[in-house]
Order: sequence, then structure tokens, then C-alpha cells
Amino acid sequence: MHMARSEGGDGMNETKQMKSIRDIPRDDYFVRGHGACPGCGVAIAVKNIARMLGPNTTVYVPASCLVVFSALYPTCAWKVPYFYTAFENTGAVIAGIKAAYKRRGKDTVVVGMAGDGGTFDIGLQALSGAADRNDDVIYVCLDNEAYMNTGIQRSGATPFGAWTTTSPIGKKIQGKREFKKDLDAIVAAHGIPYMATLSIAHFNDFVRKVQRAKEVKGFRFLHVLTPCVPGWRSEAAKSVTIAKLAVETGMWTLYEVDQGEEKLTYKPKTMVPVKEYLQLQGRFRHMSEEDITTLQNWVCKKWKEHFYEEIPVPPCELEKGKKDLIVDEDPLHGV
Amino acid sequence: MYEIRFHGRGGQGAVMAAQALAEAAVLEGYYAQAFPYFGAERRGAPVRAFARIDETKISLKSQIYEPDILVILDESLLEIEPVAEGLKSEGSAVINSEKKPEEIDLGVEVQCAAVDATTVALETIKAPIVNTSILGAFAKIQDFVPLESILNAIMNRFGEKLGHQAGVMNTSAAKLAYDRAVVGRTRGTRELVRKKEWLPPWNEIPPGTALAPVNVGGVDIGPGSAWQNFTGTWRTSSPRYIKEKCIRCLRCWFSCPEGCIERQDDDYEKWDYRYCKGCGICAEVCPVQAIEMVRGVMEW
Repeated sequence: MHMARSEGGDGMNETKQMKSIRDIPRDDYFVRGHGACPGCGVAIAVKNIARMLGPNTTVYVPASCLVVFSALYPTCAWKVPYFYTAFENTGAVIAGIKAAYKRRGKDTVVVGMAGDGGTFDIGLQALSGAADRNDDVIYVCLDNEAYMNTGIQRSGATPFGAWTTTSPIGKKIQGKREFKKDLDAIVAAHGIPYMATLSIAHFNDFVRKVQRAKEVKGFRFLHVLTPCVPGWRSEAAKSVTIAKLAVETGMWTLYEVDQGEEKLTYKPKTMVPVKEYLQLQGRFRHMSEEDITTLQNWVCKKWKEHFYEEIPVPPCELEKGKKDLIVDEDPLHGV
Repeated sequence: MYEIRFHGRGGQGAVMAAQALAEAAVLEGYYAQAFPYFGAERRGAPVRAFARIDETKISLKSQIYEPDILVILDESLLEIEPVAEGLKSEGSAVINSEKKPEEIDLGVEVQCAAVDATTVALETIKAPIVNTSILGAFAKIQDFVPLESILNAIMNRFGEKLGHQAGVMNTSAAKLAYDRAVVGRTRGTRELVRKKEWLPPWNEIPPGTALAPVNVGGVDIGPGSAWQNFTGTWRTSSPRYIKEKCIRCLRCWFSCPEGCIERQDDDYEKWDYRYCKGCGICAEVCPVQAIEMVRGVMEW
């Protein structure tokens, strides 16, 4: 028994600190041949997190795209132990797995990877429970801003104005009327040891935060913005560009709460008008000037909260003629 | 009864094509049905759609196993699926291909209309969505649904859903494809490929979902076994790596959703084209244009 223990734990502690993209190990634990759409943001995030967490990891995924494209029974893209049950219990299951490993004397990184539906809406109570108990696990929220797996339904993470099949474009109401739920604030309010927001376009920041999550003990929460090609009605090649613009426009803020201390990790040089982010995505194509101003005002307010910097007039003007939208409105992904 | 089976990839519009065809048949006074079949895979994965056309009410609801007409929206499917399986010997085929019918090996020798629908679609609707172009070619191979009805159905269906302009663009795509389609006879020497699958009887299925990595009858199952899915067949364009320009920033390696970019010991990159889905992110994130996307399924 004591032999197994020395096999499990020691190797991990010796791995060096990862600070930049260069330090990510070459070995893949989420292998090629998975069935994600071309240009999938979730696949980018998951693949790199798996590389960084290494072989001594156990993964849990609730109902989501990730389950479907990474593990179609009996094939599986994960090379590490992988488990899957129902939608709402990510927090509870990863806590249970960790407890079982502890009982067996194994020091394993347990990570739960849920989508925004499984985190913002359906899995919120289990997440809150695990955060409250401060279970020693990593919770990754792969936020693609709607229930993409079931065919693009609105979730608590869907931004204002976005088209989904359940927030359609009518004559009176166009797209979602509510703003994105501030889940990070809710999670941080639990007083957990580490919480961070990540973007797949800010590589070194991504690496540093996953590294920090790996070394901290207790409940850790990583929130990744993962562009979705069919759901956002965007071009496959633009996934990383869009994630970058989300940060530059202030739609997504990169920060972390480490041991109760809030710290911004990246500040854009100047605020890019939100319209530039919207025009790359078909889900926002219908938006009226009025709605864009409303969203811009919300972004400005958020910007002020994070950066303590007042943006007086919403910078809404943008040079016309850029046509990056695609012609595709079929809810079945155009199949 | 005419039975038509569509083979395409997620995103090419096979479902819309089947629906538009059924609508065209209804405009001609027939009874018709259309429905798709696809698995849990995503955009780019092989999909099938079906249409049945008859002079009386249709009570049959099954998938189509012995089609009269085969519509193939993507030629590369011939390499990975038994596309022509069950096609009647007096049947016919419509295929999206740059080649002439005589150069196409379908596995069955049948009457065939071939058209380079991808080029037609790129010229007319500025996107590689080939469903309407292929319907134009379809009008050339049979006589029960003429081109006019197909054009009307496209106008109704696309105009209503995507706006008048989209309807006009799609009907012009169908017209152009009708003009360009070449009719001939295919070759039939190909052995229909059948994917090796693990299909256990009930008493051989392991309890629960706990699977250890094992090999059953030549098929890997369990952890890491996804390597057997060569998703590279999904792509329509391929990344070309210009090593001389590469500054080894590793952005492409980080950003590749497939992980098909291999980081070498010296930090230069190598592509595993067996899995590349051709999304183009690597070319987009490259700061020095050391990667360019080239149309077609290619390797370097």
C-alpha cells in the first residue's frame, strides 16, 4: 500500500512552474480524433488544461458537448480516468471522487469540466455546495454562452441581445433581454481559495492561471470563455480572434481572486467598441443601434467596476464595410 | 415510389436539400416526405438525409436502404462510407465532383450527373454550402421533378427562412449547376468500405461505463481510443506550413482544437493531417503568416 502512495504523489510535486506557453508539456491527455466541430473553443481549452494538469488527473464531465465529442462509447479521447453522470451534479461528483481517492491514499488532481448550462443554471447548487465545503477539486466552467449541445438554447450565461432558439428574433423583442449573470462574483463570494477567468486567446495568462489552480489546495474555479462556431454563427477560423476581441472590448474581463485578493491580470490598452466584437458573430447580427448602445453601456459599467476607469461616451461608431458575418441561420447547424 | 438518399457533411445543407426537393415534388402534385439522420458528431461529420416521393400517400417511415437516386454532396465521403450501398442497378447518382462521371468510381455502374458544386456555390452564394447547387444538377438526371419546381421550392424555402436575397442567390446557384452538370456513366470497380466497429452482443457489454483500454477484434476501445477516428476527412481546406517563416511562438500549437499540430523538440511544428479538420485557426493566429490555408484535402 505504501508503495502505491509513493508512486502517486511525489512525481507531481517536482514538476516545474509553468509560466508561459513554452512551458506546457508536449504530451496530450486529450487525444486527436475527438468529434468536436472544426474551430471548437471548448476543445482548445480542454486540450491545454489536460496537457498542463498531466497524467495524474481524473476528469469528470456532466452532460455537455464535451461528453458527446470526447467520449462516444466505447471510444474515448481521454487518456486519463474519465467519468460522466447527470447534468446537475458536477460539484457533488468531483467532491465524491476526491473523497474516494483520499480514502485510498492517492493524491490525484480531480477536475470537473462543465458547460455554462451545467454551471450557471442547472449545476449551481452542487457547485455552491462544493465551494462551501471547500473540497479539494478544480472546477472548470467552459462558457460558450448557451446550451449548445442541445441546439443553442438560452442560458444564464447568454449575453444581452444574443439570438438563441429560445430567445428568437421577433418584431417586438429581438434576442435575449437579460444581461449575463455575474457567476464569478457569486463563486468568489463563497470565499474559495482561487477563482480566475481565462481566455483561449491570452495564452500566457491562461497557462499561469491553470498552473496556479494546480498548486493551490481547496476549491478552485476556472471560468473559460470558449467561442462556439455553430452557436455563435461565426467562422471556424475566427474562434481565437473572437475570444481576443471579447477581452479587448470588455465583454470578458481577465482577473483572478487569489486567497480573497482580487487582481486584474490583463488590461486592454484602449477599450474597443463592443460593435467590433458583435459583428463577427451571426447571433448578434439583428441587433439594433439602440440595443448595441444598451449593451455598450453595460460593458462601460462593468469596465468601471473592474478598472476604475470611466468611459464617458460609449464608443459605438465603427468603420462600415467590414463584412465578416456568415449567411447561416439554420438552428440545426445547417445539416 | 422514388426514394432519394442524400450523403453530405454537417454544414453543407443536406437536410435543407432533401426538404426543398420534397417541396418541389409537392408543387408537382406528388406526395413527399423528407427527414435527416445524423449521429452525435458535429459540423463536418458525415450526415444522411432522405426524401420519398410518390403519387399516393406514403406510409413508409423508415430510412432509405435501397435508393433510386443517390445525391452525394461531398465526394470524399466515398472513401470513408459505403455511400453507394443498396443503390438500385437501374438507379442514378448526382455527385459534387470536379471530375467527369466516367472518371468517378462509385462502386456501382450507374447513370450519373456530376457538377463541381463547391465552385458553383462559392461563385454564387459566396460560401461552400452546396445543397442548392446539387439540386440543380439533380434536375438533369431525372424527369419527374423539373428544374422550375426545384427553383420555386428553393425560393420558397430559402426566401422564407433567410430572406429574399438568399432565395435569389440560391436559385441562381441551382440554375448555374444545372447548366454545368455533366451526365455520363460512373465506374463500378470500388469495393464499398465499411468501418470496423465494435458492436458487442448484450452479454459482452461491460457493466456500467467502466472501460479499460483494450483491443477487441482489432478495434481499440476505452481511454485514448479516439485516435481511430481520422477526422481529417472532414476538411475542405488544408493548412500549409512554411517553416522558413516560423518564429516558433507556439501559438498554433496552443490554438489547434484537434491537437494535430505536433510540437517538435526544437519547437518547430509538424502537422498530423489525418486529424486536421481544416478550421484555419492556426493560419489566423500565426503572427508571421507562416501558415496558409489551401483549398482541398492536401498534405505536405
